[in-house]
Formats: sequence, C-alpha cells, structure tokens
Amino acid sequence: MSSDFEAYEQDFGTLTAEVTNKIGRIPKLSGEEKTQLVLNVDKQLEEVRELLEQMDLEAREIPIQSRAMYNSRLKSYKQEVEKLEKDFKRSRIAYSDEVRNELLGDEASSSENQLIKLREERAHLLDNTEKLERSSRRLEAGYQIAVETEQVGQEILSNLNSDREKIQRARERLRETDANLGKSSRILTGMLRRKYKK
Amino acid sequence: MDNSGKEKEAMALVAEAEKKMKSSQSFFGAMFGGSSKTEEACDMYVRAANMYKMAKNWCGKNNTEKNDAMNVPLLGQFTFVLRNNFFLSAAGNAFSQAAHLHLQMQSKHDAATNFIDAGNAFKKADPQEAINCLNRAIEIYTDMGRFTIAAKHHITIAEIYETEMVDIEKAIAHYEQAADYYKGEESTSSANKCLLKVATYAAQLEQYPKAIEIYEQVGTYAMDSTLLKYSAKDHFFKAALCHFSVDMLNAKLAVQKYEEMFPAFSDSRECKLLKKLLDAYEEQNVEAYTDSVKEFDTISRLDQWLTTMLLRIKKTIQEDESDLR
Repeated sequence: MSSDFEAYEQDFGTLTAEVTNKIGRIPKLSGEEKTQLVLNVDKQLEEVRELLEQMDLEAREIPIQSRAMYNSRLKSYKQEVEKLEKDFKRSRIAYSDEVRNELLGDEASSSENQLIKLREERAHLLDNTEKLERSSRRLEAGYQIAVETEQVGQEILSNLNSDREKIQRARERLRETDANLGKSSRILTGMLRRKYKK
Repeated sequence: MDNSGKEKEAMALVAEAEKKMKSSQSFFGAMFGGSSKTEEACDMYVRAANMYKMAKNWCGKNNTEKNDAMNVPLLGQFTFVLRNNFFLSAAGNAFSQAAHLHLQMQSKHDAATNFIDAGNAFKKADPQEAINCLNRAIEIYTDMGRFTIAAKHHITIAEIYETEMVDIEKAIAHYEQAADYYKGEESTSSANKCLLKVATYAAQLEQYPKAIEIYEQVGTYAMDSTLLKYSAKDHFFKAALCHFSVDMLNAKLAVQKYEEMFPAFSDSRECKLLKKLLDAYEEQNVEAYTDSVKEFDTISRLDQWLTTMLLRIKKTIQEDESDLR
C-alpha cells in the first residue's frame, strides 16, 4: 500500500516542478504561446488534483498508527497545490516586461536608449563609490582620533596614579607630623608643670 | 624700570653681607663667633640673590654698563664673580655662599635648600655649576635620609644632562639612582617613570637586555593596576621590539609569553603589527615589512624612538638578504 503512495508522491513531485517552471515562463510570453501554455498548466493542475485524491484514499487504507505521517505529508502537498494555483492565477494577469516596454516607450529596445541608460547607471554607480570612499575616509579619521584619545587617556591615567601615591605619602607624613606635634606639646606641658612644681 | 635699582640693592646687600662676615672675624673658612651675625649674613645673601634673579628678568641692555660700576666698590672674592655678564650666575653664587654659611651653622636643611636654589639659578647660565650644586644638595639630603627629595633632584640633574649637556650615559646613571631611591620609598609609580626613561635611552644605546628587563617589569606591574592596564600593552610592545632587535626567536617567544600573561594584548593593533613584522622577517621580505609599518603609521604616528628601533630591525633584514646573495 505504501509503495503506491510513494509512487504517487514521485509523480506529484515531477508534475509540480513542471507546473512551476511553466508558470514562471507565462508572464514573459504573449499571444498564441501564452494561451497554449495556460491550457497546458491547467491540464497539469487537474492531474495534480487527481493525484492528491488518490493519495488521500491510499492514506485512509493505511493502519492508524502510521497514518499520522502520511496525513501530514498530504496536508503539505495540498498547501503546495493551492499555492501553485494562486501563482498561476497571478501569472495570467501579470504584466510582462513586453507590455511595460510598450507603455513606457517604443524605442525601449533600441540600442541608443540602452547606451544612455548604461551611461546613467555608470554615473550613478561612480557616485555611490565616491560616497563610500568618503565615508570610509571619515571612518579612518575617526579611528585615528579615537586612538589618539586613548593614548592621551593612558598618560592621564599614569599621571593620576603617581599623584595618588604622592597624596598618600603626604597624608602619611602629615599624620606623623601631627603625632609628633602632639608628643612635643605633651613634653612642653610636662616641662611647665615640673617648673611650677619647684 | 626697577632693574637698575634692584641690582644696586643686590650689590649693596652682598657688600653688606661680606662686611658682616669680615666684621665677625669669619673669613670664608670660618668660625662660630657671632652666629647671629652669620645668620643675618645668610639672610642678606639670600635676599641679594633674589634680587639678582629679579634683575635678570628685566634688564637687557644695561648689562654692560653695570659691570664696570660693579667692579669698583667690591672686594676680594666677589670681583671674580661679578665680572660675569650673567646675573643669574651672580644669583647662583649668592645662593651658594648662603648655603655654605648655613653649613657652617650646621643647619643642613637650609643649606640644602639654598644649594637647590643655586642649582636652579645656574641651570640657565652654567649647567656644570648647576650640577655641582645639585650634587652637593643631594649629598646633604641623603645624609639626612630624605631620599624622596634626593631622588627628585637626581631627576633634575638627569634632565640637565639630557638637554643641555647631552651626556646620555650620565643621565641614565642619575635616572637609575632616582628610581632606586623611589623604590626604597615605596613610590613605585615615580620609580617606574624613571625606569622607563632609563629603558628608552638604554635601548637607544643598544643596551637591550637592560631595556627588556625594565619594560617587562613595568608591564607586569601595570597589568595588575586598574589605572595602568591600558598602558601595559604599550610596554609589552616596546619590550618585544627590543627582543626583536636582539634576536627573532626571542621575539616570538616573548610575544607568546605576553599574550599568555595578558590576553588583551593580543587584540591590540601593536600585537598584530608585531606578528606581521615577525612573518616578514622570517620571509626576509623587506617590502612586506615596510608595508605593514606604513599601515601602522597611517593610523597612529610612530614617534622617534619607535622609528629608530624599527629601522634597525629593517636594516638587519636587509643585511641578511645581502648575505644570502
């Protein structure tokens, strides 16, 4: 049973690939070819839908345990087919390049116009390149300034460090001096007292 | 302007001081008799010296006229001094006389301070004399055990050797001495500052082992401190360059070692430059070397020291190339 299912899947795959290919080509063509192709695609879509129905029936005959996998596959195939139909519809109403060219100017295909267009594009691209170069130069300058700032920062930090040590030392010395002064004042008061005792 | 008045005053003061000295029967080698007189004499010398200093700033053309006037009234040891055109030498001399008197009076502190003043005054006129005075001051300070100040003045002397007398060997010696004193007083950052100067000059004079040691030491110390770690990579870079000038293998090992010790080093542009230079050296490719150096230069200008070192390394590449041929 499942081998049939796989055979159906393969057919499905090939058909959908062909359909997508043709749908891609439709907007570019016009007239006879287009109608031909449209009919073709229509027929193939019918075949695809029949395949899907067959797959459905097959899936129902499979025991319940393994059915879940096939069911999910079926769902994804159905979605694919719906998408293909939508694309097909869109492609039929899509404007081809030819139509656009007709609207926007008759000499679209003439070589002179093409040259002018190419030249404009070239100028545009050169402009862009120049802008990019300018911005990269500015970035480099910015980077240089950043590096210089870093160096200045380094110096400042090392200055701060040495100042820190100096301040700490000065504080220590100050405390020492304070203690010494305290001692000396005590000694002096002691001397005074001794003098007055006598 | 005031200048002529000041000079005259200064000269008058010096003359008075001299007289005081003579009157208390102390010649220059002198005595303790009349210590108050010597103190006053000291004072007057100092004031005279200050006035000479002031006179220097404003007097310009009047110099020569004053000289003749000066020679006349003064006696003995002063005439040789005052014949100088430079009032600063006069100021310096006055200061050193004061200092000598203080020494006689056994007040070392004051003597030392006056020697320093003399040194400063001489700095602009006669560097050699200045160095002598500063040396004497340093002796006194180290005697008293005030190593921090002694170290500071060693730095001053070293600077004089750097700029005015361009004797780099002696400058290095003084910087080293200063660094040792600072280390003794536990001010590692000041010590590091001096050591860095020593290393720069040592590398210039091609004493690479010393320079390498110092840079590594300072770099390791800097790594640990939050404030200094951004300068650590610079130190390692310089150390690696010194290694490079000695031998390439050393440099490779060194770079690896530093990367291990200090992961942030590997991200720095300097490290990347080093790696490029090592590669170029291995391949003996002078152009690759020059290119990478130029690239680095466009971002952050290479200073004098760096250019010298890199040039030396480049020359070794070129020599090797010519050897192979």
